[in-house]
Amino acid sequence: MSTVKSNEIVLLQNIKKDYGQGNVVTEALRGVDLKLVKGDFTVMMGPSGSGKSTLLNIIGGLDRATSGKTIINGQDIGILSNKALSLMRLNNIGFVFQNYNLIPVLTAYENAEYVLMLQGINPLQRREKVMSLLQEIGLDGLENRFPRELSGGQQQRVAIARAVASDPQLVLADEITANVDSETAQSLLELMVSLNQNNKTTFLFSTHDPAVIKFAKRVIILKDGNISNEKLSSVEIEESTHK
Amino acid sequence: MKMVKISWRNLWRNATRTNITITAVALCVAILIIFQALIIGLIEKAVSNTTNLLVGEVQIHANGYLDDRSIYKSLGNIEKVRAFARENNIGIVERSYGFGLISSGKKSAGTQFWGINPEFELNYFDFANNIDEGEFLSETSLNKVVLGKKLARSLAAEIGTELVVFVQGADGSLGNDLFYVSGILKNIADDIDRGAAMILKDDFDILFSTNNIVHEIALNSKGKFEAEEIQKNISSKLKDASVMTWKQLMPFIDSMVDQMSAFMLTMFSLIFTVAASLGVMNTLLMSTYDRMKEFGVIRAIGATPWRIIRQVSMEAILLTTLASIIGVIIGLGISLYLQVYGIDFSGKGNLSFGGVVFDPIWKASVSFKIVLLPVVLMFVTSIVASLYPASIAARIKPVEAIHYKP
Ligand SMILES: Nc1ncnc2c1ncn2[C@@H]1O[C@H](COP(=O)(O)OP(=O)(O)OP(=O)(O)O)[C@@H](O)[C@H]1O
Ligand SMILES: [Mg+2]
Repeated sequence: MSTVKSNEIVLLQNIKKDYGQGNVVTEALRGVDLKLVKGDFTVMMGPSGSGKSTLLNIIGGLDRATSGKTIINGQDIGILSNKALSLMRLNNIGFVFQNYNLIPVLTAYENAEYVLMLQGINPLQRREKVMSLLQEIGLDGLENRFPRELSGGQQQRVAIARAVASDPQLVLADEITANVDSETAQSLLELMVSLNQNNKTTFLFSTHDPAVIKFAKRVIILKDGNISNEKLSSVEIEESTHK
Repeated sequence: MKMVKISWRNLWRNATRTNITITAVALCVAILIIFQALIIGLIEKAVSNTTNLLVGEVQIHANGYLDDRSIYKSLGNIEKVRAFARENNIGIVERSYGFGLISSGKKSAGTQFWGINPEFELNYFDFANNIDEGEFLSETSLNKVVLGKKLARSLAAEIGTELVVFVQGADGSLGNDLFYVSGILKNIADDIDRGAAMILKDDFDILFSTNNIVHEIALNSKGKFEAEEIQKNISSKLKDASVMTWKQLMPFIDSMVDQMSAFMLTMFSLIFTVAASLGVMNTLLMSTYDRMKEFGVIRAIGATPWRIIRQVSMEAILLTTLASIIGVIIGLGISLYLQVYGIDFSGKGNLSFGGVVFDPIWKASVSFKIVLLPVVLMFVTSIVASLYPASIAARIKPVEAIHYKP
């Protein structure tokens, strides 16, 4: 057993994930080892079907690995009950999804506030936190709009606000720029960089978009369920994706 | 509360669906309220028909009289009861009973003689109106007798027939006299039909050598007071007499009324509310399937299954609350109308069952109870019905739901 250092947010040891059973088993992950430390801003790339979403789901406690150890914040989450896993997600993880996935009956403000409400934080504190966050994120004045009244980029900003409102240890973002134009993508990434710098929030992204790479402090390439070339610099990757 | 707000907004995402369900549940509540008001109205009418016939709401006897009906167990202190009845405008009759033999020459039979005051009986009770042949007694009907129907038949007596009467007087002497049949009653109740011979109170005293003797006082406020209320009042005035309500005198009728109303109302209400709650369940099921992805997302960001169950059930509660308010307004409105005006059956001829004539206007009876039962049942069944969709929503696996395409 390895000793856990306090700034180790994620530690994966030989993670395997099989889908299906019988003859049609897909080996989505084939023994991934990964360590993320506090303040990381990591981008994960790789072709379609390489296992990026699967890995993010396992790290976020949305899915369980077939084998291997998943240690989040010093805690082996493989042994947690579903309820404990819910609480782990509530208190440690922020999610941003490709399709925004805002709650349609809640306003921008209420969506951003939702996790804080689940945490049982009192309304005054919630208001203070969410209002300043929406301002920081560039959504002030839009807080009473419902998701359907916002553009894709604005919705994704609300989703980011929702993910970071409770100051989680780790924010997981699965292809969050896939549905917006490149300009919007750029501004979303700048937003997250600033959140990373100001609040020391740890980010893990998956993306197909090479433009994302220039924001990364670290890049991981996932291929056929394994991490390869972990040591590549961003420049090299950019070159390789343009070939 | 936040949860209420979220559930409220979710309810109106598909307004047509919600409105249809609310209408159905509201109608169900309204129908149950009206139905109960009418049934309780009918039962109350049946009970008052029974008490008005001859029993009254409360009866007073000397202690132990009902056990052996001895002529010596008579009531004293009657003046107090008379005063109480007068003050409160409660109908009161005094009756005396004695046993004897009655003979028409051809045939004879054992008989219970009733010494009555016809004016009071006609004023406060109905049986005197149920005359089959001839006429009831009046104040001047000395040496006239009114017979129960079966008694008259077994004596082969007709109107005007001369009857010889033998009794044992209270002083031990033999009383005998001649009476003439003035009227024959319709079938009323078995003991009356077979054995009652009604004569004037004055005739009774002469026949039995008694002096203004009273064995029974029957009080009838015709619903103005509760029987128990009258009983309590008189018991406190007359310590040494037995004061009983009609429920104690006829426990069989009381329990039949109770069981019938409990059974009918509960069964009927249950069937209706279960049907309506299936509508609620269907609505929530459809809206749960529409929102699979959303539930997955809120599970992903940390909501517990329990929270999701509460949220879906809250939607059922809000829907039922709204529907109940509408249902109660409609149901109570119509019931109150029916309490005042009733449903008129008089155009369809005389309503009579087993010789008892019913009031042709069927009136509802409104009470708090008729609102409580449907509303409470509706809430309970709706919440139970919401648990199935709620548990589906709560069991959603976040990963699958996020990729779920409806
Ligand atoms: N629920 C599932 N059941 C069966 N197989 C699955 C399931 N989810 C993913 N897979 C398979 O696992 C492999 C990895 O999928 P994953 O979604 O993690 O890839 P990805 O890198 O996120 O791809 P993309 O870039 O297209 O989003 C793929 O071969 C996919 O078909
Ligand atoms: Mg993916």
